Amino acid sequence: MATTTAERTYARRDDAAAGARAMVPWLLGVAPYGLVIGVSAAQADIPTAAGWLTGLAIYSGSAQVATIELLDAGAASLVVVATALAINMRLIIYSGAIAGYWRGMPRWWRGLAAYLLVDPSFAVGVDRYQRSGDRVGAHAYYLGGAVALWVTWLGAISVGATLGARLPAGLHLEFVIPLFLVGEVVARLGTPAMCRASLTAVAVAVVGCSAPLHLGLVGAIVAGIAVGVATPRSRR
Amino acid sequence: MNAWLVVVTVGVGSYLFRLSMVALAGRVGSSDRFERTSAFVVPSAFAALATSGIVAGLSGYGAGSIAPLAAVGIAVVAVRRTGRPQAAMVAGMPTLWVLHALLPG
Repeated sequence: MATTTAERTYARRDDAAAGARAMVPWLLGVAPYGLVIGVSAAQADIPTAAGWLTGLAIYSGSAQVATIELLDAGAASLVVVATALAINMRLIIYSGAIAGYWRGMPRWWRGLAAYLLVDPSFAVGVDRYQRSGDRVGAHAYYLGGAVALWVTWLGAISVGATLGARLPAGLHLEFVIPLFLVGEVVARLGTPAMCRASLTAVAVAVVGCSAPLHLGLVGAIVAGIAVGVATPRSRR
Repeated sequence: MNAWLVVVTVGVGSYLFRLSMVALAGRVGSSDRFERTSAFVVPSAFAALATSGIVAGLSGYGAGSIAPLAAVGIAVVAVRRTGRPQAAMVAGMPTLWVLHALLPG
């Protein structure tokens, strides 16, 4: 029986809704982090709206924090730009890892999907792409999750910027994301290759934490991937 | 360069990073190599990001670094026991709050 256009539309909506639901655990982690960034934007010695714009333009928590904090500290503009872009160099790796799944999609779609590409949307999207099933549904799933994340992120930053200093520092909300990432990593340690890749990334990140321009972070990611790929197939 | 221009510059650069390999798709790597490599991106990237966030937190806590380290330890145990990533936050954050309240520094 031929599938009608209406049925295909409903199926895509279901896929997008499933992507948004898969993003919910991430939203619980990123919302407090967005609040913290909004608060820091309100307290920093820059226009609050410029701090909020980091969410729309940069759309990556750690690079946003670096940008706001360095501008607040009066760092030279080139230092701020170089530091934030160095932190975001991992996005090139994500771009390379997801590019193959987006092959053949219209240019406007890839442009939009790329804008929404950040740690949580990458994780949720790749999980779906790696499952078998129709690729078009996976695209809707990715966008559903990514848009839910984008709306929540900008909303949380807006609330944080409005609340300003009224959020108690004793909550240590800045620790939510590291803990959430710990959870995501530990839950994936199913094979020796995953363990090796993760532990290598941890070790290189610790050693490289004082490297200039956060290059230790990129080095840790590359080292982890290299060790994982180098692990013999029989031991994966 | 004022704050607005800095934010826009970082934003444009970040977008170009996101778009870079997507725009090159079709010209890079074989499918098998791509699949093998992409499988390790998430664990490696998240392990590195988590470590960097935890280490940054430690330098800020000084003598009170026991609390965040214990929170991470409890989080790891919780996820191993439940198999759910969210357990890290559910178990880790209360541990952090309680230990910060109990331990000085």
